[in-house]
Amino acid sequence: MELMKLEIVTPDGVIFDNDVKQVTLPGSEGEFGVLPKHATLVSILSTGVIIIETAQNKDILVAINSGYVKVDETKVTCIVDGAVSLSEEDNELARAIEDAKALLKSTEASSMAIAAAVSKVEHIGKSR
Amino acid sequence: MASLKDIKRKIKSVKNTEKTTRAMKLVSSAKLKRTEELAKKSKVYAAKLTELLSEIARKMAGENANGLDLPYFREVQNPKNVDIVFVTADKGLCGGFNAQTIKRVNALRKELEASGTKVKLRAVGRKGIDYFRFNGVALSNEVLGLSSSPDFERASDLIGQIAQDYVDGNSDKIILIHNGYVNMITQEVRQSQVLPVDHNSLSLDNISTSELEVEPDEDNTLLEGLIKRYIEYTMYYSLIDSLAAEHSARMQAMDSATNNAKEMVKSLSVKYNRARQEAITTELIEIISGMESMK
Repeated sequence: MELMKLEIVTPDGVIFDNDVKQVTLPGSEGEFGVLPKHATLVSILSTGVIIIETAQNKDILVAINSGYVKVDETKVTCIVDGAVSLSEEDNELARAIEDAKALLKSTEASSMAIAAAVSKVEHIGKSR
Repeated sequence: MASLKDIKRKIKSVKNTEKTTRAMKLVSSAKLKRTEELAKKSKVYAAKLTELLSEIARKMAGENANGLDLPYFREVQNPKNVDIVFVTADKGLCGGFNAQTIKRVNALRKELEASGTKVKLRAVGRKGIDYFRFNGVALSNEVLGLSSSPDFERASDLIGQIAQDYVDGNSDKIILIHNGYVNMITQEVRQSQVLPVDHNSLSLDNISTSELEVEPDEDNTLLEGLIKRYIEYTMYYSLIDSLAAEHSARMQAMDSATNNAKEMVKSLSVKYNRARQEAITTELIEIISGMESMK
């Protein structure tokens, strides 16, 4: 399976920088998935959850408030204001989930968008 | 000749000063480490943001002529009104750190005013504010407490206001000056043009024609948002950079102060010993001559 590079940067540093299989992004015009060799694209990201499928078939969720994404054939770069990463293997997942929820709720997005994102975040806590 | 007691007292006081300066140096070096870390992290973000912005701006410029007629790109040949935003520290005791920035601001102000340009000064940091107030120069903005603890929200509020002024046509150019961090022992005054967005720093001249989908693609929402982010971040980053430079300057200043104090203690001890020896000699001579006279 082909891989592409994904980078998520925030003002507080790099949150994620690795090869991935697929990534689903909360675009301002709706959620969209990106696979390797996607056409070049730039989009605004709104409040939501980035879902990453890593090369090891693990799911990682990253809750974000807002930002931009640039996609080209080999690389996806997300520039976001604030992000909290949630991984199934994380020992402090419960706390990360709380942080993510706080981040999502602090935004000015519509309550529906926030609720959808929060439910996704909570889901990862239950699935383990 | 100072008495023995006086010298002793002086040595004690210099030693105390040395302790204080050494402690301040340690505090600064700890703070520097933290700020440096912060600067390193935000540098990545700044680089990515600039990259993305320039790519989109290039594409817009290539695609349609009116893509870049946003006010943020409005280049004025002979600017009538120029805003200078400058960052100094809130505290002193950091060598020539603040003086360097102020000197540059003054030089630029004189140069611009000589050519008939109106200059508005916007100050961040107590030291710069104090200086210009003392010299009777009016400041359009006086921001305290931001340079000692950079905060993204406050920084973007400030630059947002200034940018709005620019968009409304009240000024033709915004220049940002701060004293930046190079390494532990060097700082460098940095001057950058915030608005209009500098074509060179975005390398706008090499227009790319590559296919690039932009979403949402109506009007200039994305580009405008990015530019706002970009200037906000430029402001924020200069605050962090300035803070790192401030700590390194203070570290240096306190280091040399500690060394000077050490040096002073050394020379005072020599003086003390000499005075003590002299007193002993005088006393001896007195005793011996007394004995001689009794013979």
